Amino acid sequence: MPIYTIAALGIGGLLTIMTLLNGMAAAGATPLFSSWLAHGVGTVTALILLAAMGRKPKEQRSKPPLWAYLAGLAGAVTVILTSFTVNTPLALSGTIALGLAGQMVFGLGADMVGLFGLKRRLPTSTELISFACIVAGSLIIIFLDKG
Amino acid sequence: MILFSIMAFAGGILVGLSRQVNGRLALSTSAMESSFWNHAVGFVFLCVIVLIFGGLMPTQHAFDVPLIAYAGGMVGVVFIAASSWIIARIGAAQTAVLVIAGQMVSGVALDIILDNAGNPIARTAGVALILTGIFLGRRKKN
Repeated sequence: MPIYTIAALGIGGLLTIMTLLNGMAAAGATPLFSSWLAHGVGTVTALILLAAMGRKPKEQRSKPPLWAYLAGLAGAVTVILTSFTVNTPLALSGTIALGLAGQMVFGLGADMVGLFGLKRRLPTSTELISFACIVAGSLIIIFLDKG
Repeated sequence: MILFSIMAFAGGILVGLSRQVNGRLALSTSAMESSFWNHAVGFVFLCVIVLIFGGLMPTQHAFDVPLIAYAGGMVGVVFIAASSWIIARIGAAQTAVLVIAGQMVSGVALDIILDNAGNPIARTAGVALILTGIFLGRRKKN
C-alpha cells in the first residue's frame, strides 16, 4: 500500500479521535464552546510545536497571498453551520452525508482546475469507481449503522 | 428542509475550501505554520462571534470537561498540518475520500471497542465497500 494512502487513512483516524475528544468538551456545554476551546488550545499547541521545529529555511519560503491565511474562517463557519443542522430534521447522519457530498464535489472541481495554485489533476475512471465505493460504504455506515 | 440541506452541503464545501487554502499556505511556508494560522484565525473569529451572539457557556459546568477533552485541539493541530501536507501530494479529491475512509473505518473500530450499539451487517458491508474502494484506488507509484 503506498505511503500516501496509509497517511491519508491515518489522518482520518485522527479525525475520529478529535471528534471523540471535542464531543466530550461539547457534552457539558455547546458545540461552539467545544470549537472555541479546540481552536484556542490548538493555537498554543501549534506555537509550541513551531518553536520546537523551527521555521523552514528562507530559500524554501515564498510570500503567500494574504487570503491564504484565512482558511480558519471557513473552518469556524463550518462548525457554526453543522452544529445548527444537526438539530434540524437532517440530524447528525444527514449532516454528515451532505457534508461528505460537498467535500467530494469540491475536491473533484478543485483538482480539475488546480484551484489556488495547487496541482491540476483529472481523476482516472478507476479512481472514480474507487471514490464511488468509498462514498457508498460510508453512506451505508452513516445511515444504516448510526442512523 | 432544502435550506438546511444547502447549509449542510455548504459545510462540506467549506471543509474542502479550508483544506485547499491551508494547502496553498503550506506550499509557501510549512504545514505546521499553516496549521497555526488556521487555528489562530479561527480562534479570533470565534471570539468575535461569541462576543456578538453569546452562547459560549450556557451552563456553569462548561469548564467541568474532563481534562482529556482539552487534547482535542492538540490532535486538531496535527490533523490540519497533516492535511495541508498531503493535499499537495495526492490532490483534493483523493485527500477527501481517503480521510473519510479512514474516519469511517476507525469510527466503526472505536464503536466496537466502546461496545456502542450498531448494526453488524451495515458495519461489515460498509467497511467491505470502503476497503474495496481503497484497494481499487491505491496509487501505483508516488
